[in-house]
Amino acid sequence: MTTTEQTTSPARVWLVLVLLAAAVGAPGVADAYIGPGAGFAVLGSFAVLFVTMILAGISILAWPFRTLWRMVRRRRRSKPLVKRTIFVGFDGQDARITERMMAEGKLPNFSRLAERGCYRRLRTTFPSITPVAWSSFSTGTNPGRHNIFDFLDRDPRTYLPRLSSAHIGSVEKFLKLGKLRIPLKKPDIRLLRKSKPWWTILGEHNIWSTVIRVPITFPPDRFYGAQLGAMCIPDLLGTQGTFMLFTTRPDDEAFQEGGVRVTLSPNGSPSTYEAKVTGPENAFFEGNPPMELPLVVDVDRAAGSARVSINGSTAEVRTGELSDWVKLDFPAIPGMKVGGLTRLMLTEVDDNVSLYMSPINIEPGKPAMPISHPSYYSSYLEKKIGPFATLGLAEDTWALNEKVTDDGTFWNQTQGIDAEREQMLDIALDTLRSGALVTVFDATDRVNHMYWRYIEDGHPAAAGIEEPAFADAIERQYIRNDEIVGRVLDRINDDDVLFVLSDHGCTSFRRGVNLNAWLLREGYLTLKEDADGSEPWLQSVDWSKTRAYAVGLVGIFLNVRGREAHGIVEPGDDTAALKAEIAGKLKGLVDAETGDVAINEAFDTDTLYRGPYKGNAPDLLMGYNHGYRISWDCASGVVAGAVFTDNVKAWSGDHIVDPRLVPGIMLCNREVSSDDPHITDMAPTVLTLFGIRPAAHMDGKPILGKESL
Amino acid sequence: MFGTTKIKLDSGLVERIRKFSEIAGYSSPEEFITHALEKELALLEDTEDEEEIKKRLQGLGYMS
Repeated sequence: MTTTEQTTSPARVWLVLVLLAAAVGAPGVADAYIGPGAGFAVLGSFAVLFVTMILAGISILAWPFRTLWRMVRRRRRSKPLVKRTIFVGFDGQDARITERMMAEGKLPNFSRLAERGCYRRLRTTFPSITPVAWSSFSTGTNPGRHNIFDFLDRDPRTYLPRLSSAHIGSVEKFLKLGKLRIPLKKPDIRLLRKSKPWWTILGEHNIWSTVIRVPITFPPDRFYGAQLGAMCIPDLLGTQGTFMLFTTRPDDEAFQEGGVRVTLSPNGSPSTYEAKVTGPENAFFEGNPPMELPLVVDVDRAAGSARVSINGSTAEVRTGELSDWVKLDFPAIPGMKVGGLTRLMLTEVDDNVSLYMSPINIEPGKPAMPISHPSYYSSYLEKKIGPFATLGLAEDTWALNEKVTDDGTFWNQTQGIDAEREQMLDIALDTLRSGALVTVFDATDRVNHMYWRYIEDGHPAAAGIEEPAFADAIERQYIRNDEIVGRVLDRINDDDVLFVLSDHGCTSFRRGVNLNAWLLREGYLTLKEDADGSEPWLQSVDWSKTRAYAVGLVGIFLNVRGREAHGIVEPGDDTAALKAEIAGKLKGLVDAETGDVAINEAFDTDTLYRGPYKGNAPDLLMGYNHGYRISWDCASGVVAGAVFTDNVKAWSGDHIVDPRLVPGIMLCNREVSSDDPHITDMAPTVLTLFGIRPAAHMDGKPILGKESL
Repeated sequence: MFGTTKIKLDSGLVERIRKFSEIAGYSSPEEFITHALEKELALLEDTEDEEEIKKRLQGLGYMS
């Protein structure tokens, strides 16, 4: 579904030419900012395509010269032990489930790989969450050296959370042309993961790497190779995934938080409704008004279907069936559009009409933000496999949590994205003559999260659900992973080295722990006078009287003088003593309602981490027991309420627990030298395989060398 | 246009940086210099708008 605006007046044609000249001449290539508050400021979709094509052409023509330059410039020579090293990552694949299914004969290809080489449990990071673990995989370092401790960081000046992995700034310099503002400088978009990933080091030795959807690669690294970025690429609105529900249901009907509800209004007939699709904010205009597209829904109640028209193009949708990718082109200014992809589904079409629209992904064919390296790599993949999901957390867990979609829709959505990923892996396997390849599949993690309630008796999130159709969803996903491994095994050469791994496992999430409510109860956190603690983002907190607080998903910060804006705890001995006091109280904390231990241990990160960034970590890291995790309220900075609450959301399994409880897996087609490998061992291992001595700053050790090849 | 700018530094300073960066766990002297400068800049730069932050975090599956 595309639409192109007509520009016919001479004044508009002249404006477009001027803008194009400014866009091509302005600094930065295919760089844009998408974000609430500062809007969408882009060089323009046409200019992006134009400049991208120019760059692609220059890149091809310059290839012989660049190759020669690299050979001349190469300072260190390596003697590779292998021609290709391949990593296939299954985010979240749990060791206990894998071992049980292997023993039951349900994962024959995993077993085949283990027999050919080895199987080990893979120790994960503290904390055991995706951004931290994959950053350690990439760099071979502990979090103190790569600076990723959580999905979220907190700004010590405001106590507010922010994304830990990427900074997306605003465009600050504009050329004003009447009501228009033309961006003159590209926005500041920075990857906040530090240290150096192994693929960059390989590139310094003229060894190619293809890196597909490894978390915490946005914006992408620049190295000798190709990369498709992953977490935390935003959606077209600049968020981490906002779905829309267009509905005729009255506003006073319950619609929980998460996503955006848009009213569908009748349009002159009992079967036609209209609304507007809100896109990114438009920084070309003062005040950043949102870009919009008109949406019309013509329903056929008898058939349970509808024709959806968005800005002149149409798609047929049916009740309960997710559409294929639908392209949306938001008009920024005349002659310039911003492209996105979404999937649609009718959720009801009777007395009320409701239409689900998935988060609008950045279009990979003409991406409005830097999502790949080289910048045209995503376009290349789009030409090869068609449209694909680009959002960092692409599977719409929130719509399922909010019961806007259902188990079947989420399963189909996840499997669709998984299939796209395998196509990318296939292309990379076909084209990689020598070098390294890593592809991460996310489906296992999402399926673990959303269907765990069905594999555990009495899970509060499964209350009232008799014989769920997706009771075996987790096993089905692991079987699919096994099939992928089988296909990879059939395609690799005998001298290739293959690793199959996961970054962590998974366990139950039945009870949420509101750390801020506990800190309030214990007197470490104080609310403002007349505040009840129900406001999000710690807005109710009196910082002048608060000694400790929780922000993010993994731990507690102390309110340290000189570090936090309103710190009251003296650094040094006072901080150490307070940390020990709180850790002592949390160790073995019991949930009085169940009698279970909720927190095994609270770890002092000062002793846990080594490196120049460890000061950015929470002071105490929680090691939750099986069944427990930070509560939804606590994650949003709400202080009020009980310390322990049931988790009744579909998101019913998790791994933000004591990392010792959720190791990942590692299989290799060679025997490795360690019985107890750690995820930080992967980077030094791949360097060793290509004849490069692992860097001194790496914490991991190589576990495969000449003797095993 | 390609993301980096050259700055001249006293060679004695660079040598001290090179020695310290390895001990401290940086992957390169460049990383150490970048970190040192970023720490200083963080003290000077404005904070982000609260509403922008909240909107940007919207949709992250771990949070309500």
